[in-house]
Amino acid sequence: MIKVESITKSFGEKKVIQNLNLEVKKNEIVTLLGPNGVGKTTLLNILSGLTRADDGNIYINDVLVNGKAGTKQVCLKPSERKVGYVFQTISLFPHMRIRDNVAYGLKSLHLPKQEVKKRTDTLLDFVGLREYAKFYPHQLSGGQKQRTALARSLATEPQVLLLDEPVSALDPQLRESFRLELKNYLQALKITVVYVTHNLSEAFIMSDRIAVMGNGRIEQIGSRTEIFDKPSSKYVAKFLGINAFKGKAVKIHGGLLEIEVNNVQLLAPSAPDLVGKNVIVTIKPENIVVSKSADLNFNSASCNSIEGTITEMVQMRSTAQVTVDAGFPLKTRLPLSSIKNLGINVGDKVYLCFNADALNVFADNSSE
Amino acid sequence: MKRTTANSFSNKIVILILALIVLTYLLFITLPILAVFLRINPSQVNGQLHNAQIIEAIKLSLYTSGIATLIALCLTVPTAYFMATRKFPGKAIVDTLIDLPIVMPPAVAGVALLYAFAPRGLLGPILNRLGLIIPGGTIAVILAQIFVASPFVLRSAKAGFENLDKDIINSAKILSGSRLRVFFTISLPLSARVIISGVMLTWARAMGEFGATLMFAGNLPGLTQTMPLAIYSLMNSDPLAGVMLSTVLIVISFTILIVIKLLEQKSFGAKK
Repeated sequence: MIKVESITKSFGEKKVIQNLNLEVKKNEIVTLLGPNGVGKTTLLNILSGLTRADDGNIYINDVLVNGKAGTKQVCLKPSERKVGYVFQTISLFPHMRIRDNVAYGLKSLHLPKQEVKKRTDTLLDFVGLREYAKFYPHQLSGGQKQRTALARSLATEPQVLLLDEPVSALDPQLRESFRLELKNYLQALKITVVYVTHNLSEAFIMSDRIAVMGNGRIEQIGSRTEIFDKPSSKYVAKFLGINAFKGKAVKIHGGLLEIEVNNVQLLAPSAPDLVGKNVIVTIKPENIVVSKSADLNFNSASCNSIEGTITEMVQMRSTAQVTVDAGFPLKTRLPLSSIKNLGINVGDKVYLCFNADALNVFADNSSE
Repeated sequence: MKRTTANSFSNKIVILILALIVLTYLLFITLPILAVFLRINPSQVNGQLHNAQIIEAIKLSLYTSGIATLIALCLTVPTAYFMATRKFPGKAIVDTLIDLPIVMPPAVAGVALLYAFAPRGLLGPILNRLGLIIPGGTIAVILAQIFVASPFVLRSAKAGFENLDKDIINSAKILSGSRLRVFFTISLPLSARVIISGVMLTWARAMGEFGATLMFAGNLPGLTQTMPLAIYSLMNSDPLAGVMLSTVLIVISFTILIVIKLLEQKSFGAKK
């Protein structure tokens, strides 16, 4: 279990971690998700002991590893924290064979030679690299190198495993398969994991919970569904590619909250405490239905139907992101086949329909 | 079309001028070396090989430069590691100070060593009490060589440690609690090639040391007369022997450079 209490870290004038709190349960996989430069790797380095936090406390399995115990300042060495760390750059020891790479940590435990060999063999078997034991890192593929790095980090039987974008150094073609492979390894290990990535789908595949980071803080932490269905800030919504716009909660009407966004009325789930307040409204692109006619078969009173003009269509492999100006920009994602069937194009007038339940509304506390 | 032809013509002119400059420079470097080799009379080589002064000078140079390089290595590698991995106030000053012997004229280095280690120098009273008289002896030759040549290995080692991939070192730090083990099993082997090329340069510089040795140790055959000093003396008394000894030094220098080049071709674990 990891408990991070109000840690801060600055490099010179720059505050990289600001009053950050985080709890990771035993055997849980938590992903730190966020764009580059928000402090994800710094947080991993602080957890591992490679970087010292300026303030705050960190506990690993109830042991204070960084912080203040009474008047005494504690900062355990990286090797004393029982953590394993897989770096983004893989960083195997290039002058050592794969077996020696994996055994490196074991040798520092002063175990009998036979024990070191036995444990190294077990780890090499676990990652399927026993036959490559005598190879040097430069003789392995990207995926094999990363598996070696994983085995090496597990050798000292860490209680916590830290993974810093372990897939990003691999070829794009390899990434997809290695993610699933890694997920299987992590599930088999039953170990507390903190995983860093800026890739959404990777975070969704790997994690039990996702912590979205921004500006040196955890902006939101929750399960995949919680994060994606109910982003708690405009920043989180935008990072996840979810529509987020400002509005004003006007009244409760027919058990629903009526919101005004740029003179467009929207219906959202009832939230009496928000009435009269400025709010942020979020909706996932895939929850928006696009139609060329207004009379869609949405026979519910809780359906929002608004008119707009297509301003942009960005085609991807099997879908396209369609941006519609409905008084405010709304992004939706449609399969290419639907676009073909609908016969829509940039400049076309369309109707966007979505259920009130699809909207997530929260008070806008920003000063913008 | 005309413009393309004009461009191609001007390119050819530039290449021609460049080739001429390169050729001139190469001639300037190789001509004196060639001149030395051309002065050797093969029929007299065998006789020179038994010249006691030459043999003494070669022996002394190998002995002193070997010891000087070894001591320099032991002193500079830990210093380089410290400089490459630590931040401390005044680091820039220390950094400049340790490079100073490279730019300091060797004669000045000799004077400086004299005023530090001579009986009336800075450390004179202490050395006198210990019964050590350094100037004019073989120890002085070694000290002069260390002073002048050690910055080469220091600079190489420092660059080697600075260029190590940080993640590799951090991986080792997490896996091993002992800094010493990380140093000896990771940092040092990964910087070894760069350090060895520094060692070779230091050795070559120590072998060729002249000014500081002359000022600090003197020119006593068998005691302080290294190869460069012997060449200097022999050019007045027995020029052929001087030339012979010069060719030995040229061959040693050339071999050292080739070894360095070979070592530089492959380097593990440096920053990408």
